[in-house]
Amino acid sequence: MPQNETIQDLDLDEYKYGFVTEGKPVFRAEKGLSEEVVRQISAHKEEPEWMLDFRLKALKVYESKPMPTWGGDLSDLEKVLSEIYFYVRPQDRMQHSWDDVPEEIKDTFEKLGIPEAERKILAGVGAQYESEMVYHSLREEWSNQGVIFDSIEDGLKNHPELFREHFGTVIPTHDNKFAAMNSAVWSGGSFVYIPKGVSLNTPLQAYFRVNQERMGQFERTLIIVDEGAHAHYIEGCTAPVYSTESFHSGVIEIIVKKNARFRYTTIQNWSNNMYNLVTQRATVAEGGHMEWLDGNLGSKLTMKYPSCYLMGEGAHGEILSIAYSGDGQHQDTGGKVVHVAPYTTSSIVSKSISKGHGRSTYRGLCKVYEGAHHARSNVECDALLINDTSRTDTYPYIEIEENDANVGHEASVSKIGEEQLFYLTSRGIPEEEAMAMIVRGFIEPIAKELPLEYAVELNRLIELEMEGSVG
Amino acid sequence: MAQATLAPEGVTQALSAEAVERISADEPTWLQERRRHAWSVYETTPMPTTKLEEWRYTDLKKKLDLAPLRLSEGTAAPDDPAQWPERLREAMDEDREASGHIVVIDGHVVHADISADLAKQGVVLGSLQDAVEQHAALVEEHLATEAVPAEEGKFAALNAALWTDGVLLYVPKGVQLEAPVRITRWLTESGAAYLSRVLIVAEQHSQVSYVDEVLSDDFESQTFTSTAVEVIAKDGAQVQYVAVQRLGKGAFYQSVQRTLAGRDATLDTLNVALGASVTRVDLNARLLGPGANSDMLGLYFGDGSQHFDFNTSQDHIKPNTASDLLYKGALDGSSRAVFRGIIRVYPGAQKTDAYQTNRNLLLSPHARADSLPNLEIEADDVKCSHGATVGELDSEAKFYLMSRGLNRTQAERLVVMGFLGEVLAKLPLGGVVEKVSRVIEQKLAQHEG
Repeated sequence: MPQNETIQDLDLDEYKYGFVTEGKPVFRAEKGLSEEVVRQISAHKEEPEWMLDFRLKALKVYESKPMPTWGGDLSDLEKVLSEIYFYVRPQDRMQHSWDDVPEEIKDTFEKLGIPEAERKILAGVGAQYESEMVYHSLREEWSNQGVIFDSIEDGLKNHPELFREHFGTVIPTHDNKFAAMNSAVWSGGSFVYIPKGVSLNTPLQAYFRVNQERMGQFERTLIIVDEGAHAHYIEGCTAPVYSTESFHSGVIEIIVKKNARFRYTTIQNWSNNMYNLVTQRATVAEGGHMEWLDGNLGSKLTMKYPSCYLMGEGAHGEILSIAYSGDGQHQDTGGKVVHVAPYTTSSIVSKSISKGHGRSTYRGLCKVYEGAHHARSNVECDALLINDTSRTDTYPYIEIEENDANVGHEASVSKIGEEQLFYLTSRGIPEEEAMAMIVRGFIEPIAKELPLEYAVELNRLIELEMEGSVG
Repeated sequence: MAQATLAPEGVTQALSAEAVERISADEPTWLQERRRHAWSVYETTPMPTTKLEEWRYTDLKKKLDLAPLRLSEGTAAPDDPAQWPERLREAMDEDREASGHIVVIDGHVVHADISADLAKQGVVLGSLQDAVEQHAALVEEHLATEAVPAEEGKFAALNAALWTDGVLLYVPKGVQLEAPVRITRWLTESGAAYLSRVLIVAEQHSQVSYVDEVLSDDFESQTFTSTAVEVIAKDGAQVQYVAVQRLGKGAFYQSVQRTLAGRDATLDTLNVALGASVTRVDLNARLLGPGANSDMLGLYFGDGSQHFDFNTSQDHIKPNTASDLLYKGALDGSSRAVFRGIIRVYPGAQKTDAYQTNRNLLLSPHARADSLPNLEIEADDVKCSHGATVGELDSEAKFYLMSRGLNRTQAERLVVMGFLGEVLAKLPLGGVVEKVSRVIEQKLAQHEG
């Protein structure tokens, strides 16, 4: 391969989703957050009165809560929020056929490989552009079995009772400042219902794209996995690189009913100007099984701690978390497991890599309430530091109120072992490649759980990021 | 809210600017100024609330009422063991060999001795009040300056303003003490506030072990005891600091400790907490010179409604430093323990080795343990790890012992003693191991009864 081509490839690959698509939204609310904006969003969505009330109350809660002083640096956030658009409507209505999606949006997703992924094996695909889902489809074999995979707005319209019964029950408005913000201005996201005993053998996938400058995205997802059902949901996120900051704050509520099994995979690859503050939580009933697979590679600051509330006997929760922080990035991630019922089990495995001036923080909670006897939990955190300017923190919270429980936490921090490097280079492997190999080995326990195309992507990214780290 | 602006938080009839003036009336100017400064810090520092991360699990609003406290005002007991309380004498009898003793009764140093040979070599062990006169330069340099200044927090400020007595231990360059120095304290005044300080300065390549035991009977009303501990180990010095807390019910035991370890110094600590209704220990180990090393040990056994809160930090400031923390506790009844520890590796502190382990054994369904082992790492060539566990008695170990003919009670005791014994085995100071083991045995006996 000629030299100049390699260089060009690299330029693109540094962050290959950083392109901007030209195009005019059909509606854009005023900058900043106000009651007026909330009313406009609700009006555009032709919502029932109760939802408007819900939003307005949430706005009050948001305004009453102070900005968090823990976690990442949010000191500039007030200013960023006053400058962003909370609601941008890219098209008039959602499409179910790819051909009907406006050309420029279609281009974007084609560049991101969405239709390609759908053609492959997915059970269903949703795509969100700015504030709205622009496309949603589900294979017929699943819709025939009663599976619902729709935009959250259509969920509210078409399944009002099911929606209202569960909406806001897992993550109440007052849970935290950003959950309250999302409750006020939510737009887009998925509504998923998997009926009793139905087992989806291929994943549902949602894709989130922010295109406009100074844009805030507030998707809201509600997933109900009924008794004995099985499913897997994947979300991916990207945005162009602008000089100004953007903001993303999702709320994901998941209800895993008796003996159901659900996995939620996130591959977050926002551009490095994005604040990403997300609340994700699942309640798990008797015998249920919930897995979060959380990959955070992009964004300027991510604060995100997927949670499992183990409410029924024998429920199981699992969180696999991987974070990569490069220059200017802070990944403040982890997970929470809350044992409410007896015989519940959980595990958190977190791996982070910090490079350059990057900072990775693990923050997690393991709580066992009195009465949750025979609860078992294990937390493991490993951090890898590439440079002497990188930083890692570990802040686990362990709260145990039950004596008949066993809970353990372990964490370790290391740099790439000189011995490992020496061994590989002595076998003729160039140092950069050797480093990439070691890092790949480090994240392997999580990468192997990823769908193939993501695992390949992740490994490629690691390789790229390792370039130039020798010296 | 309006009230708070009128009277700063924590200012009471007894804890007041007047008290600062009264206590410091006959003191040198530098000390008067230092106390006044501390008092102003105290007044302007808000009382910690559970909103502060470091006080998240100890609600002072519920646990501590400063208003009814008076400053301890008992007169000094005579320097005559026959007239000392029996339990104090018992505790001292259990101590084995010692290089020197200090006896503190109700905030007064009533006895101090140091072997003549060590005194000749320049070792100083005595009352801090006396030292203010006799070793003015040393005390002025180190007291509430670099180790535990008033700015350290609300209680550090209160202590620096209102301390009434304490201990100074000074070990000159190269002097090594074979046997530990032993401090035994006894408190009797219910409803009193005791504020005391410890200052230990070990010069280059010196070596010393310091054991400080505090005990009392149960108190009818809340009694507050505050200690500020400053330990300075200069280059190559080896220091062991041991605190054994065996206070009665009704006591609120609060201790702020900071250790400063210079180049190649070894500075180990052991905190044993068995008594008091509330125990709060803030321990900060600072590794200031390359090659410095700190082992930090902790042991606690709770029953009834006892509450323990340990807040530790390991600051690796220079390269090639090592620290190893092990805190273990067993909790019975509805007692509760909080461990919050942090390892900080500063930028440039390469080749740091830092470990931190907290293990809890819950013996009762109503006991509770919270554990927060934290890491903040800003250098890449380090080895750091931490672990925390909370669990029940090892049933296999119990089963094994019972299959060998021990009854359930005996087997359980043995398993608990084995669990806690790991800590004592790491710092096997004569007298301490036996004493602490005996008290734990007594507590375990109540578990079965």
